[in-house]
Amino acid sequence: MLIELAMRNLKRTKVRSTLAVIGIIIGVMAISSIGIFGESLKAVILENFKDIANEVIVTPDYTHGYTYIDSKTVERLKRIPYVYEVIPIKRQSALISYKDKKTYATIYGIEEKDVKSLFKLEKGSYRGCIVGSNIADYFKLKIGGKIRINDKEFRVGGVLRKEARFDINPNFAVFISVKDFDKIFKSKKEYEFVIVKTRSLSDVDKVREFVNKVINKRESKVSVFEIKMIIERINSILSKWTLFLMAIAGVSLLVAGVSILNIMLMSTIERTREIGLLRAIGAYRETILKIFLLEALILGLIGSLIGGALSFIGGYVIDLLILKTAKYVFQPSSLLYVFVGISFGIATALVSALYPAWKASRLEPIQALRYE
Amino acid sequence: MIELINVTKVYKIGVHEVVALKNVNLKVESGEFIVIMGPSGSGKSTLLYLIGCLDKPTRGKVLIEGLDISKLSERQLTELRRDKIGFIFQQYYLIPTLTALENVELPMVFKGLPKAKRERRAEELLEMVGLKEKKDRKPNELSGGEQQRVAIARALANNPDILLCDEPTGNLDTKSGKIVMDIIKRLNVEEGVTVVLVTHNPFLCDYADRVIKIRDGVVYAD
Repeated sequence: MLIELAMRNLKRTKVRSTLAVIGIIIGVMAISSIGIFGESLKAVILENFKDIANEVIVTPDYTHGYTYIDSKTVERLKRIPYVYEVIPIKRQSALISYKDKKTYATIYGIEEKDVKSLFKLEKGSYRGCIVGSNIADYFKLKIGGKIRINDKEFRVGGVLRKEARFDINPNFAVFISVKDFDKIFKSKKEYEFVIVKTRSLSDVDKVREFVNKVINKRESKVSVFEIKMIIERINSILSKWTLFLMAIAGVSLLVAGVSILNIMLMSTIERTREIGLLRAIGAYRETILKIFLLEALILGLIGSLIGGALSFIGGYVIDLLILKTAKYVFQPSSLLYVFVGISFGIATALVSALYPAWKASRLEPIQALRYE
Repeated sequence: MIELINVTKVYKIGVHEVVALKNVNLKVESGEFIVIMGPSGSGKSTLLYLIGCLDKPTRGKVLIEGLDISKLSERQLTELRRDKIGFIFQQYYLIPTLTALENVELPMVFKGLPKAKRERRAEELLEMVGLKEKKDRKPNELSGGEQQRVAIARALANNPDILLCDEPTGNLDTKSGKIVMDIIKRLNVEEGVTVVLVTHNPFLCDYADRVIKIRDGVVYAD
């Protein structure tokens, strides 16, 4: 009966109630849509890093005096369970030249199949010396052209597509075989770092544990760096950023809350005598409080549920506009943000009604009845 | 039984103090029909509201069935109003969004009675005041006299011992007023409900067992 009474009270001021509901709808929609967008953004980033997220970079532990990783360690890395691929890499800076042009570049000693596993080609093949796109542009290199590194000539077999990694910047790099690298730099069988790939993202932690158990057992020879950590950090920053955006969107909910506060206060004044009557015929103060809170709850529920449903549309549009794809809108984590939006919507309505409801319940029946 | 002992009521309006009642002594036996007469501003409504536990006296005692209302908590007063007292007001004060039946149900809702029981009782009461056919109408679809009869039915919802009427015919024409007064009188005679009625209409005195006159907060004729 009280719910019925509350609903009819709201119907009495249809326009006012509708406007309040619209306020809540907008607020909830803003919060949830941005939440959905944030989640989609994370998903897109993970998708972009999917290829390298399951990589672990093993570097010498410089703090313990190790400056290189020896081939014995590389062999041991290969025997670790969950390891799918081990790519040992040598690195050196050198002056390179093509015709009359010269530049400094990073030279990597890496096997052909490993280049294939790490990078995509723009043109040519993986045979011979592979150069990064910036170097190719600078030299205006053609496939088959010859560049000089430390006075030794290399035939360019392929040019890499422009891309970025955390460990290697391929755009300013030249990739040659480990054998050639050893020859021109007179290097020993030692590596600068090793990229270890696992079959899945979840294996990364296991591999790190094994490396620490097997290789760093007696003393810390190598450091393990997980690319996953970077993604996790990006995700954590994105989460904060999403939260911040949601807070800004929350301002619209705040405005909706103020409007509910306003209409509820108007209602208490308009219905003063009615409240007096209810108190006279046996309604407790709490009953009056309950009636007003119920009214707010109904407004909040209706607004929030509609807003929650509409936020999928909002998220869809934002995703489509900014991410150019809407395939992440309906992932489970989006639902969480819709739920958050709905909860905030309902809570806002209730909190806004607290003061008017309290005020109504504090009316003295005699004064309320005599109110003109 | 209702008993007022040396009751004084002072209202503060801004910095001014208005004495609404001055040392009023009054005793109403169960089953009595009392009319309190007096011009407007005489304090008769204040007297009624004190008996109705809507207000507490500044000095003196108001006893309802032997209970001193000054000593009761807010909650106890509410329950006393709900269970023992029925109110009838000049402006009916029906809830506009509720039907006649639902208006009559309200005091029972506050008492926590189950829906089926409430509806049965409300229908009986509406039948008693001759409005059974109009039970689903909203107040604005009823005439003034009909609205007041709904209000009477509502006042009787929880079987009160005392019926307090504040100018119950004040907004009604003579004919409707007579119907309303006849119902109130019948309740008094047949059900033994104590009636305290406040008015400045001398014709209503015909219904009373006792007439009390009040002026400037002082009872001067009993």
